[in-house]
Amino acid sequence: MLDVRGVTKIYGQGSAAVKALNNVSFRVNKGDFVAIMGPSGSGKSTLLNIIGGLDRPTSGEVVLDGERIDNLDENALVGIRRGKISYVFQQYHLLPSLTALENVLLPLTFCGIHGKDGKALELLKKMGLGKRAWHKPSQLSGGEQQRVAIARALVNDPLLILADEPTGNVDRKTGREILDLFCQLNNEEGRGIIMVTHNPEAAERAAEIIMLQDGQIVDRIKHGGEDRNEFIR
Amino acid sequence: MKLYQMVAKDVMRRKRRVAYAILGVVIGTMTVVAILTIAQAGQARIYGQLEKYGANLQVIPAIKSITMGLGDLSLGTVAVGENYIGQDKLPQIRQIADGEIKKALKIQTEGNIATIAPKLFISHEVKGTSVVFVGIEPEEEIKIKSWWQVKQGKYIENGKQALAGTMAAELLKLNIGDPVSLKGDEVTIAGILDETGSGDDYQIFVALSTLQKAFNKEGLITSIDIRALCNACPVEVIADAIHQNIAGVRAVAVKQVADTEMGMLEKINRFMLALAGVTLVVGGFGVANTLMTSIHERIKDIGIMRAVGASRNQIIKALIYEAIIIGVAGGILGYGVGTLLAYIIGPLIFEGTIATFVPQYFPVSLVLALFIATLATLYPAFRATQIRVADSFRSL
Repeated sequence: MLDVRGVTKIYGQGSAAVKALNNVSFRVNKGDFVAIMGPSGSGKSTLLNIIGGLDRPTSGEVVLDGERIDNLDENALVGIRRGKISYVFQQYHLLPSLTALENVLLPLTFCGIHGKDGKALELLKKMGLGKRAWHKPSQLSGGEQQRVAIARALVNDPLLILADEPTGNVDRKTGREILDLFCQLNNEEGRGIIMVTHNPEAAERAAEIIMLQDGQIVDRIKHGGEDRNEFIR
Repeated sequence: MKLYQMVAKDVMRRKRRVAYAILGVVIGTMTVVAILTIAQAGQARIYGQLEKYGANLQVIPAIKSITMGLGDLSLGTVAVGENYIGQDKLPQIRQIADGEIKKALKIQTEGNIATIAPKLFISHEVKGTSVVFVGIEPEEEIKIKSWWQVKQGKYIENGKQALAGTMAAELLKLNIGDPVSLKGDEVTIAGILDETGSGDDYQIFVALSTLQKAFNKEGLITSIDIRALCNACPVEVIADAIHQNIAGVRAVAVKQVADTEMGMLEKINRFMLALAGVTLVVGGFGVANTLMTSIHERIKDIGIMRAVGASRNQIIKALIYEAIIIGVAGGILGYGVGTLLAYIIGPLIFEGTIATFVPQYFPVSLVLALFIATLATLYPAFRATQIRVADSFRSL
């Protein structure tokens, strides 16, 4: 479903140039849960931004669902963000003026879809936030905010969820709960997830770990299905 | 949830920032509204004063003038002497004046429209002091000099009565009931006028026929005041027609004086509007600056919106919705504050002016405010959408 072919990203020019990604290639199939791991500055977030069309590679290709997306113009990328890919960020990135429910509805608002409050509320309930739906982000804990962000990522029924350090800003217990949610979405709904993390415990929950160092893939570890499912219970 | 609802919630959260932007818009529109309102009030006042000139047109003999005076006081000059206007020309003058007014206003009523007040000036000694006697047709004269107030006694009712100007009465020590001799005839002071601040204060008014008879000037008058009753009346046209048709007279449009004054006002208005324009531009920059900061602060929010599927156009639309909120609020407040400002400052610029609400400036204020707010939003809004989503998160 997702094909990353020889992606290189260079920041700056001349002697100040920094190679954030160096000829990275890998493939993710439909419904896979992949973790990208590596130390700080290894290029994880850059890679995720390029996959999601938030940033452009210097060279290489990104093919999603049979369509090259690395060279799309802004308007075409809007179409990708409205149905195929959605994001979960480390900083949650909720709009402070809107309630949890309204934040979840936001992607639909931009698609011109109205009156889906029921669906958004359902998603929030699934995240255990049924009673917090009318609270503003400032009234929610970090873990709650991250769950609102996950609900928002699901409201458009995306093919692929891109999560950038989703447990980076929450305590360990909340982090586990969030990872449980991801596993559940992956197992029960078959949603594809690519998660960037530098936390080995989080990465362990994915079916496959791509190890990144200095902008290059240094290792790929595949897990069996059983050992991670036990966490769900 | 609709896009405008999202914008409204955001505006409510950032009340203070939005208030600053509105303030910028208010400063611009307020100045323009205040200046326009003051100018309007000033114009109305000058029109009001125009009314007070009484006559729009004065018909005098073609030549000769003498210096008027009361004792040693010089009171300017007035056309007088052997050159009089024959009273027989009055019907013809009336016909011309009424005819031109009817033509200009496209009305076809019978009867008189213009007020025509003939006068005879005679210098004569009273108690050893030279004073100007003015023969008037009392009913016509009071129509033209609507500001005349009788301080003591009453207005002239018949040919045996006289009306004294306040200064004339004081200097000559004339009281109600005092007789004044006019060569062979005698009239009684029936009333004394309140001060007018004009030459009238130094004159004594009697019925035209009385004066004509006393001084052997039957059928002769010195000047004719014509009042056309409206600001739009074709005073110059009437003057021209009188010139062309009646020999030996000169018609002077008093309105020319007012026109000069209006011309001055026009210049002042233009200058003030230029000033308002500058204020508007400065205000506009202020608003642009506030909005630029305000939008820059929300680069991250804009990045979030784009990450969850907002197009560039939707972002610009959302920011323009905000500009509309700022513009409408700024326009309404600018109109209110501007009118209030005109009310306070107006009397300092044009003495005695009272500025009031001018409803037609409300849409002017609103359109102006919306224009400033939208214009000031477009550039930063466009800039904000050019930033890459990934960069908008990184910048914070």
